[in-house]
Amino acid sequence: MTDPNPLDRYSRQMRFPGIGKAGQEKLLASRVTLCGCGALGTVLANTLVRAGVGFVRVVDRDFVEPSNLQRQVLFDESDVRDNLPKAEAAAVKLRRINSAVTVEPVVADIDRTNVEDLCRDADLILDGSDNFEVRYLVNDVAVKLGKPWVYGGAVGSQGMTMTIIPGETPCLRCVFEAAPNPGDVGTCETAGVLAPTVSIVASFQAAEALKLLSGSRDAVSRELLMVDVWENTHKRVKVAPLRGRKGQCPCCARRNFEWLDGAHGTQTTTLCGRNAVQVSHRAAGRLDFEQLAGVLRTSGPVTFNKFLLKFQLEEKGEPFEFTVFPDGRAIIKGTSEPDRARTLYAKYVGH
Amino acid sequence: MPITVQVPTPMREQAGGKAEVAVGGATVRAALDDLVKQYPGLAPKLFDGGKLRPYVNVFVNDEDIRYLDEMDTAVADGQVVALIPAVAGG
Repeated sequence: MTDPNPLDRYSRQMRFPGIGKAGQEKLLASRVTLCGCGALGTVLANTLVRAGVGFVRVVDRDFVEPSNLQRQVLFDESDVRDNLPKAEAAAVKLRRINSAVTVEPVVADIDRTNVEDLCRDADLILDGSDNFEVRYLVNDVAVKLGKPWVYGGAVGSQGMTMTIIPGETPCLRCVFEAAPNPGDVGTCETAGVLAPTVSIVASFQAAEALKLLSGSRDAVSRELLMVDVWENTHKRVKVAPLRGRKGQCPCCARRNFEWLDGAHGTQTTTLCGRNAVQVSHRAAGRLDFEQLAGVLRTSGPVTFNKFLLKFQLEEKGEPFEFTVFPDGRAIIKGTSEPDRARTLYAKYVGH
Repeated sequence: MPITVQVPTPMREQAGGKAEVAVGGATVRAALDDLVKQYPGLAPKLFDGGKLRPYVNVFVNDEDIRYLDEMDTAVADGQVVALIPAVAGG
C-alpha cells in the first residue's frame, strides 16, 4: 500500500486520548514476540498488526487443522488443505492486513534452548500458548530479561489473564506457584473451548499490550482478571501483595529460573485439544524429508512439503499420524501417552 | 447464612456438579474441611499430603489468603471462599 499519509489508517486509534500521535509512533517503533498462534494468538496477532505494532514475531510449532477453524480467526480452509504451519499461514494473512509492519513467522517449539533468543529483542512478550510449560518458561525469561509479558488462558467458557511487569507486579509463579498436573485442570480436549472465551481473554491481553507499548504503563491492570461467558461472571482479584511472595518466589525473588535451567519441563508435551503428543528431539541438522519419506513409505503413506512431513501408520490395529518438522520435532496423533509417543518416535523417526 | 465455597469447573464433578457449596467453619481450613467432608472426592483435587495443591489459589472475598493468614484466615457467615486454579488452554 503506497499511502501518502501512512498514519491515516490509525486515525481512530490516535484520536483516542490514551494513545494519540505520540502513542501511535511508539507502537510503530515497538517489537513483540507472540508465543503461540492458536486461538489466543490469532486474536492477539490480528489486533496488534491492525494497531500498527511495528514488528511482530509469531512463534508456533503447530499446523492448521479443521478443528482450529471454529476459533482461530486468521485461518481458513485453504490453510488446512495446504497443510500450512500456523506461523506461516498467519504471516500471510497479517501481511495482507497491514503491509507496513514487519511480521516474522517462526515455526518452532518454544523450549528452554530457544526462548531467550526469541524474546531478547522484544519490548513485550505475549502469551498465546496453550500450556503451562511455555508460560513458566516465558515467565522465567521475562523476569530474567526484565521485560513485561501478558498471561492469558482459556478453557470452556472460562478465561483468565494477568499482566506481569518484572519488579513492579507479582510474576506468574508468585500467583500460581506450580503448573497443574496433566488432567488436573480442564484442557481444550476435555472441556472444549468457546470462541468468545478466547476472543475476550485475548482482547484484554491486546489492550494491555497497547497500554504497555504506547507508553501508558499507569493504565495497566494490576489484578488477576477472570471471566466466564456462560455463567456470566466477571471478577478481578487483587494479587499485588503477592509480589515476591515474602521473598520466597523462586523466580522473581530468588532469581532461580528453574524452567529455563531445565529443572522442570520434559521432552514430550501432551497437546491441548487433541489426542496427540509432541516429541521434541532436536536433530543435529535439518531433516532430509526425501530420505525420511523413502524410509517410511515401507510402513505407511507419506506426504511432505518444505515445512512438514506427514506419515500414517497402523500399529496393532490402531491408527497413528505423525507430523514431522525439519528440526526433528514430531507431533504424534492417536495417543495421549508420552511414553507411547516416545516409543513410536524412536521406532519410526529416531536414530 | 452459611459460608459459600465457589467450586471451579474442573472440580465440579467431585462436588456433585455444584458450582457453590454451603459450608460451616470459622477459618478457611475449617471451611475446606467441611467441604471435603461433604464431598470426599474433592480431597485429592485440593490437597496433597495435607497441604493445599500449589496451583489452587484460595480467595476470601476476593483477597488471596496467602497475604492474609493463609489457611487460618478467618471466615464468617455470608462470606465467599473462591477456589481458583490456573486456566490452562488457549
